[in-house]
Amino acid sequence: MPKGPTSVEIRTYQVGFGDCFLLSFVYSGTDKRHVLIDFGTTGLPGRTRRRSAHMPRIAKHIKSVCGPNGLTAVVATHRHADHINGFGTDGGTGRSGSIIRDLKPRLVLQPWTEDPGAKTDARKATRESSRSRKSFVAGLAAMNDVAAMVASIATKPPAWMSSALQKELLFLGQDNVANRSAVDNLIAMGRRPGSTAVWAHHGSPSGLERLLPGVTVHVLGPPDLTQTEKIRKQKSRDPDQFWHLLSAGASTKGRNLLAKGFPSGARAKRHPVPPAARWFRDRLERLNGQQILEIVRTLDQQMNNTSLILLFEVFGKKLLFPGDAQIENWSYALGDAPDAAKTRALLAEVDVYKVGHHGSLNATPKQALWERFRKRNKGLRTLLSTLPGKHGSSRSHTEVPRKTLLQELEARSILQNTMRLKATSPEPCLLLTLKR
Amino acid sequence: MASRRATKERAAADARPPLRCMTIVAQDPGLTRGGRILTAKVAVPAEDLMAGPMGYRVQVVDYDSTRRYYHGSHVLPATYDREPRRWRRGEPSIVKDVRFHAQNVYALVMKTLARFELALGRRLGWSFENHQLKIAPHGMFDANAFYSPIHEGLLLGYFRGRSGRPVYTSLSHDVVVHETTHALLDGLRERYLVPSNPDQAAFHEGFADVIALLSVFSLPEVVTHLLTPARHARNGATTIARRHIEHEALQTSALFGLADQMGQELDGLRGNALRRSTELGANPKILDDPEFGEPHRRGEVFVAAVMQAFIAAWSARIKDMGLEGQRAFPLASVVEEGADVADAMATLWIRALDYMPPVHLTFQDALTAALTSDTQVRPDDQRFKLRHHLKTHFAAFGIVPVKAKNGSPADCWTAAPKDLRYHRVRFESMRNDKDEVFRFLWENQEALGLQTDAYAKVISVRPCLRTGIDGFALRETVAEYYQVARLTPSEFSDRKIPLPRGFLAHLKRLKLERDAKAAKRSKSRAGALERDGLDADDGDEPSPDAGIDDDDSFATAIYGGGVLIFDEYGRLKYHVHNRIFGRRQKQRLKYLWDAGLLTARVEGAGYRAQRLATLHRMRSIDARKFPAEGW
Repeated sequence: MPKGPTSVEIRTYQVGFGDCFLLSFVYSGTDKRHVLIDFGTTGLPGRTRRRSAHMPRIAKHIKSVCGPNGLTAVVATHRHADHINGFGTDGGTGRSGSIIRDLKPRLVLQPWTEDPGAKTDARKATRESSRSRKSFVAGLAAMNDVAAMVASIATKPPAWMSSALQKELLFLGQDNVANRSAVDNLIAMGRRPGSTAVWAHHGSPSGLERLLPGVTVHVLGPPDLTQTEKIRKQKSRDPDQFWHLLSAGASTKGRNLLAKGFPSGARAKRHPVPPAARWFRDRLERLNGQQILEIVRTLDQQMNNTSLILLFEVFGKKLLFPGDAQIENWSYALGDAPDAAKTRALLAEVDVYKVGHHGSLNATPKQALWERFRKRNKGLRTLLSTLPGKHGSSRSHTEVPRKTLLQELEARSILQNTMRLKATSPEPCLLLTLKR
Repeated sequence: MASRRATKERAAADARPPLRCMTIVAQDPGLTRGGRILTAKVAVPAEDLMAGPMGYRVQVVDYDSTRRYYHGSHVLPATYDREPRRWRRGEPSIVKDVRFHAQNVYALVMKTLARFELALGRRLGWSFENHQLKIAPHGMFDANAFYSPIHEGLLLGYFRGRSGRPVYTSLSHDVVVHETTHALLDGLRERYLVPSNPDQAAFHEGFADVIALLSVFSLPEVVTHLLTPARHARNGATTIARRHIEHEALQTSALFGLADQMGQELDGLRGNALRRSTELGANPKILDDPEFGEPHRRGEVFVAAVMQAFIAAWSARIKDMGLEGQRAFPLASVVEEGADVADAMATLWIRALDYMPPVHLTFQDALTAALTSDTQVRPDDQRFKLRHHLKTHFAAFGIVPVKAKNGSPADCWTAAPKDLRYHRVRFESMRNDKDEVFRFLWENQEALGLQTDAYAKVISVRPCLRTGIDGFALRETVAEYYQVARLTPSEFSDRKIPLPRGFLAHLKRLKLERDAKAAKRSKSRAGALERDGLDADDGDEPSPDAGIDDDDSFATAIYGGGVLIFDEYGRLKYHVHNRIFGRRQKQRLKYLWDAGLLTARVEGAGYRAQRLATLHRMRSIDARKFPAEGW
């Protein structure tokens, strides 16, 4: 039984707006164990790249790195398309998921929200709470439905919709729709004989330690419902209900309610809008667009907060991979959890930080996380997988990656940034090697 | 002949009463009795309504922006008697009757407007220049409803409930009144939507909830329904047992009972205000809890204090009316008193607005304003003891009145200074002329504590005539002004108002970026001029070595302001104000920076106001923000 790795190789793949990281724990010349964290994209750099060509190329490179031993584990931090659509076995990403599946991972790790058992677990989170895992997960499914409606609106936008609004709605909508093929493949990989599926939450085992001797893996997020509901001083309503109300009926009769509403009252002939009402009518239409954008941005953030946050400890080095977790997810680990002080102490010594949510403004908590990293200006390594111009806008200071964060990363850390890696370059990834 | 007809018409017009009645949904379609929706008959100002309906203050535009469908311009029944019988009976079919929806929203908006005008003793304007508030009763498919000042209107959403049945926010009494109250409050205090401190944002939501809930409770139909279980109603019960009018029992049946029966689907939209008002126990430190930092949560504390005070006043009033040891009370009297107490409480809070500072409002200011204004128009509080109950229940949440000075009555604002100068201003002009009020301010700058080096503007001058419940009449003039100064960092420092460190660091970074760009432009221009054989001048590019301390392109705006309340003789009674360079500014700026509401920009820092639509959505999903952690 090997004692522990002698080195770790971290490959950051060029997937444009998406995440794909391959961690290779090197025990010996012939014993390398590989963990793939996420594999997805919602936008590739360059004009001519197609996902159906690019993603299989990435998958083949992963296969070549893994060699005959295949993958030790696959981690899907959360269900956003830019993190998991590469696991799909349909034509959308050129069946790249089939190549991954053939690497026969021995473990598939996902957040508890993806556990098929959670869908039917109707037990209340706590005695004082009205929420259950079933209602929460059903809320996520409702969000997927709402996102599908938004994406559909953006595909055939009404005349009043600006191209900027259409672009953002399409991007966010598509990122948040359910990826059936990818989800099915992840479940199938976990059910394969000889494999295990683990659905984790803050403090729960990851299942990786038995496969990676000498490596400790802390699951810092997301918190389970019981954990979040317990710390509330006031009983919460059912905030998941909001998404059900928006999506209700979407799947019945296939009607896109966000695009078409439903008739109020008895059917009547169409009335022309009188002159006195036209000013307000025009503003209502633009307001409608604003509201839809706000809805999809809100659900996008809620979905990000289901992300796994993993901290690997290997030969004294700490590697932090938080997926797209935003501050609401972090707040439990850093402040509300009973072991928050211990977590903060661990995180202060991080050596490698995968920048959260592609460098967005609220996924690298400034005071609670970044400013506590002691190794800033002292060799801290940061990994950023992103593509500008896809998400947010600089006018509203929400551009991804966020300019102020990027400046800070460049000034205070050794940054590896996929923006500097051409999609056509021979090596489709950046490599960072850490030695014992 | 023609002149006889004209005379007849004129006579008919003059005989028209000032009010007319309309049917509305008493609470929402979820509140039913005997299979029918509980409705109420309400009085609204009479007017000649055009199809829409469109009147002198409201225009209903029944346009569905999701379907891009116009439901038509509705013609409402001319009188109450001409309404379809099924409207008055509350038959379930009214849920699908868009003409009824239009009447419902029109009547609730006009009733609320009239309520405010009656309480304040004057006409009210909207925050925008136009005369009519637009209302879209089926504005879009969304589980949301909100007021938008820039769109000059209310957008009421619709969606499918859990049962699959349609839910129209336009049929929810409390939702429509809540949004209307936002619009009215915005017209009275336009700066309350500008970020200031956590209480001010919470006040907008909390106040709108309070007026909405008290509006529901002021309907005898609703109170009767809540106090009378169906079986008692069937048996024709006319009394109610003493044990049911004790404080806790009333709280359960009235507050909790209504919360329980309110349309469940709208729970998210309403937040939990009414339910919380029964659950929130006394806790003087509650406002220090980060969980109550969000405006929608913090507003619930305000609602809880007011609603618990309402129940306490109601219970005490009924017992006061009865005999010692009386075991049962006439139901009709209990209902009437409940509706009257609700009405009086709503009036008290509406009047309090005139006594609130126009900027930087805190809950403490709001309570003091309420107690002061009520003392003016209702010196005798024996009937309902509203002031006593409000003080008690606000104190339970750690909110106490501002301490009065200079021998002024306790729990009230400090009276205005006596040594003011009036001899250069004209009393009659001061009742409605902003310039004359400004002159008064100018003449009394020192005595009133105005900053001479800050810009001052009189925003409004409003004469009013208020009538107390006992017929007592009070004439006042209320004038609002605000002050603004745009200061550089060193000017802030001179006034002992330190800017947040993070904000200063951000300003410095912006300056470096600006200077780098300027240097690049300069170099390229110099190069071009040299090529043309011309001398490059220094231009007016800022020196890269100059810091931000004295560079006024990095000035930050800071606000102060006050309200002047003059008596009927033109003498100043109260000056309720927040000093522009006062001690509280340091804390405010820190809060605004930490909350992400103060943005550093070249050419002046800005305040990031939150849209009410967004606030309501955050409330629906019970979201929390952590802006200090953002980039």
